[in-house]
Amino acid sequence: MKPTKILLYILLIGASFTFLYPFYWMILASLTPESLLGDLNILPLEITFKNYQIMFSKIPILRSLLNSTIVATCSTLGVVVFGSMVGYALAKSNFRGRNLLFFIIVFTMTLPFQITLIPNYILMVKFRWVDTFAALIMPALNSAFAIIMFRQVFKGIPDDLIDAARVDGCGELRIIFQVLWPNIIPTIITVAIITFMSSWNDVLWPLIVIRDEKLMTMPQLVTLFAVGGRADAQLGVKLASAVLLALPIIITYSIFQKHFIRSMASSGLKG
Amino acid sequence: MRYCRLFFILLAVWTLFSCGRDKGDSALEYWSSNNIGEITFSQQIVDQWNLSQDGLELKYQPIPEGQSSEEIILAAVVGKTTPDIYSNMWQGSVEFYAKSNVLVPLDTLDGFMEFIRDRCDSLTIREITSSDGHIYQVPWKINPFMTIYNRDYMDGLELDSLPQTYSSYLNAAEKFKKDLSGDGYVDQWFGNTSVKLVWYQRLFNFYTLYIAASDGLPLIKDNRAYFNNEYAIEVFRFLQEIYKQNYFSKEQQAAGQDPFLGGRIATKFTGPWEIEYLERYKPEEFNYDFYPVIVPDDHEGPIYTYCDPKSVVIFSTSSDPQQAFEFIKTMVDEAGDLLFIQMTKQLPRRQGLDTLNAYTSFFDENPRLRVFAEQAKYVRGIENCEVITEVFDVITQEYEACVLYNMKEPEEAIADAEKAVNVILGSNK
Amino acid sequence: MLSYFLVSPYLVHLLLFISFPVIFSVVLTFHKWNIISEMQFVGVDNYIRIFHDRLFWKALLNTVTFLLIHIPLQILIALLLAYFLDQKIFLKGFFRATFFMPVVISGVVVTMVWQQLYGLDSGLINKLLVGIGLGKVPWLTDKNVAMISIAIMATWKNVGLYVILFLVGLQSVPRRYYEAADVEGANQWQKFRFITLPAINPTIFMVTILSTIGGFNLFIEPYIMTGGGPLNSTLSAMLYIYKHAFEYYHMGYSATLGIFFAFIIMMVVVVQKYTIEKDD
Repeated sequence: MKPTKILLYILLIGASFTFLYPFYWMILASLTPESLLGDLNILPLEITFKNYQIMFSKIPILRSLLNSTIVATCSTLGVVVFGSMVGYALAKSNFRGRNLLFFIIVFTMTLPFQITLIPNYILMVKFRWVDTFAALIMPALNSAFAIIMFRQVFKGIPDDLIDAARVDGCGELRIIFQVLWPNIIPTIITVAIITFMSSWNDVLWPLIVIRDEKLMTMPQLVTLFAVGGRADAQLGVKLASAVLLALPIIITYSIFQKHFIRSMASSGLKG
Repeated sequence: MRYCRLFFILLAVWTLFSCGRDKGDSALEYWSSNNIGEITFSQQIVDQWNLSQDGLELKYQPIPEGQSSEEIILAAVVGKTTPDIYSNMWQGSVEFYAKSNVLVPLDTLDGFMEFIRDRCDSLTIREITSSDGHIYQVPWKINPFMTIYNRDYMDGLELDSLPQTYSSYLNAAEKFKKDLSGDGYVDQWFGNTSVKLVWYQRLFNFYTLYIAASDGLPLIKDNRAYFNNEYAIEVFRFLQEIYKQNYFSKEQQAAGQDPFLGGRIATKFTGPWEIEYLERYKPEEFNYDFYPVIVPDDHEGPIYTYCDPKSVVIFSTSSDPQQAFEFIKTMVDEAGDLLFIQMTKQLPRRQGLDTLNAYTSFFDENPRLRVFAEQAKYVRGIENCEVITEVFDVITQEYEACVLYNMKEPEEAIADAEKAVNVILGSNK
Repeated sequence: MLSYFLVSPYLVHLLLFISFPVIFSVVLTFHKWNIISEMQFVGVDNYIRIFHDRLFWKALLNTVTFLLIHIPLQILIALLLAYFLDQKIFLKGFFRATFFMPVVISGVVVTMVWQQLYGLDSGLINKLLVGIGLGKVPWLTDKNVAMISIAIMATWKNVGLYVILFLVGLQSVPRRYYEAADVEGANQWQKFRFITLPAINPTIFMVTILSTIGGFNLFIEPYIMTGGGPLNSTLSAMLYIYKHAFEYYHMGYSATLGIFFAFIIMMVVVVQKYTIEKDD
């Protein structure tokens, strides 16, 4: 091998190391007793599950896992379904205000959420949705990004397909879900993955509208656990919660790697 | 499509379900914190009350676990789901709620004034009286701050007496400072206090020392900053010196194991709760004890300290404040307080704690707490100020600049803090 | 008619969660409100207050500083790594997956771990530096370093995504161009400058815009890691707005800050669009 090739490999492996080591350390540290944490470097010193035991007894982390899953799934479902509907209408039907609506949708994407944060909180209070799943899911059911993606892909579908379905007596909704969806699976996957991930990782909004521990999302719970005093300043325990937070994503990611990467890439290109 | 419609229907139904809670019957409701000891205590007191009453049962519930209890109460106030009685309100928060007409002025209730004069001394009463002349809280419990020290380390320094004054403390710190691992960096410090920039962390270092130095002067008086005095300056200078000489580490405590338990520090400012924590996690041969917080060299007389006071309040949404007050009285009478201290190991805020006959046997069994009970004679809480959070944030800024980073002299820092606080108080009219 | 039914979910959403909040926000800027009492009309007091609010301008400056460090760093490293990956090597998939992993992990986890790595005395990075003979770096305790530390961490977290984007861009350059350049005797650098760079210009542009919008929203990292310190050097604009709303309960003023900030973001994005697109 050419020396430059060797150098290349060294650089890449070095880079990989820096990307992987923090996670490796985090997992290792969560399995190390508190007193030995200061001496931890690369090799395991002593393996203990005590940190995990303590964490499980202090915070309802599995519950929050369930919460996050419910919220993210519902949001994703809503976004995919509603996004398809609106995207389809924008792509294929001609109605008054169509262009205006599209323009508004694009505009809202540029609107920083800082403006809407507090009034949305007030809305949640007025609707009595504070400390309910509704506060987390309702505002997340529509996504301008999803609408734009769906509109784009629907525009590429030939009208004949749709006309044929109409002749067969399909209602518009059936057309979208039964006829068109099978043809745009990659887009659906892309939108689903991105929506799911951004819902899962969102911390700021849950911090504002959810106070009851039993309803918190996983990243929210771990954040409060890390920043607050419930962990009795035990670092190992905090890291245990972080590991648990990262685990579902790492597992899903390992399985669906290709899809993840392709989705993010194609979304970036269209964005 | 059928599924779509089903989805919408489910959504609508579920929305209705999550729309608020029913206030239902008008039985009184009492919330406590979710500290295990307090939960057990509250349950017992509530049961006692219900047995002795004929009417509607008093409902009890510990506050749901979540973010800070302040946030939960605020959310309850906003959502109009407040209980009648709440027992864990920090004294500093009371004014914020009182000013918004969310709390019942207790002095308008029958029997309150005699009750409060019996429970508290005049200084405390003045402290808890709001700026409009009413009293909105019943002082409930305190956790006085003292200095904890590692007995073995302290003995090892062979000092004449415990370092009570600034100079003796600094000298001891110099002796104790060490670089054990020989890597050129200190890894053994005399003490530690939080360097976190959250506003309430100043309560545990600056404010505690300020109260001790000034014998309990307030920070704010007549809606203007009152702390631009020699005491605040001395406190800043003392702490500044500590960080300058690296007697305390600047690292945030979150990054690592508890330094006191790990033997990396010899002292710390803390309260009675530390006892239970240490007993639970300490290694085999670990000896510790408490003494009052550090004061300036020329200080005379008893040493005051900050006590992190919590009060009981009645929300104005209550249907029967008088009845609520009767219940509160059973919580904090002599028997109630004794039960409280037995179950939670926290001190009730009543005068004469260490002299009451009923309590002596308890303190005999728990000698460590006796030190705190004696300290309880000389405690101060916090003033009534709606914007106390911002005030402490400002102090924190100056604290950071002067004490931690040595960028200002204490005189300048305190003066700047005074200016900024006056701006805040002024714009809060 | 049917079309209106189809777009109705979004219309409801637009009305409730976008239009109403924007309007309410604007109304709120003219009032003083702490959530639990009555709203108090104060005219333009909040706006005047912004101009005297040194902390807010510091927060803005901090956010801009963050962007100025983070974006170039991101583009450089992403481009570099993408360039490496574009060569003929084994394990391409493995490397790609490794670089990308931090992107999907929650920012909370990343921040917690890096907070440990950055520790002054017990942090791993400093231990390493001391071990090889260098000194400790005050990653989070020095006001001149803290924001850089956060920028480094943010770059580490996001660079994987941009590596992928650059890879796509790099791979779209037809090989013939390079072959033609080889015939003309061009060296690596010239090939890069005259063929590669122009081809991936749109990607660079996109990376910049995405990073900018993301960077303006910097909140959870300083919230967990430093609380805004030391000496307010990591106080991001979002963190400041959050503090005023949810720690001091100054709803009116916080809304004013929010609108002002949003306005600035929109302007920056527009300027970026113009200046970078003109280069095309």
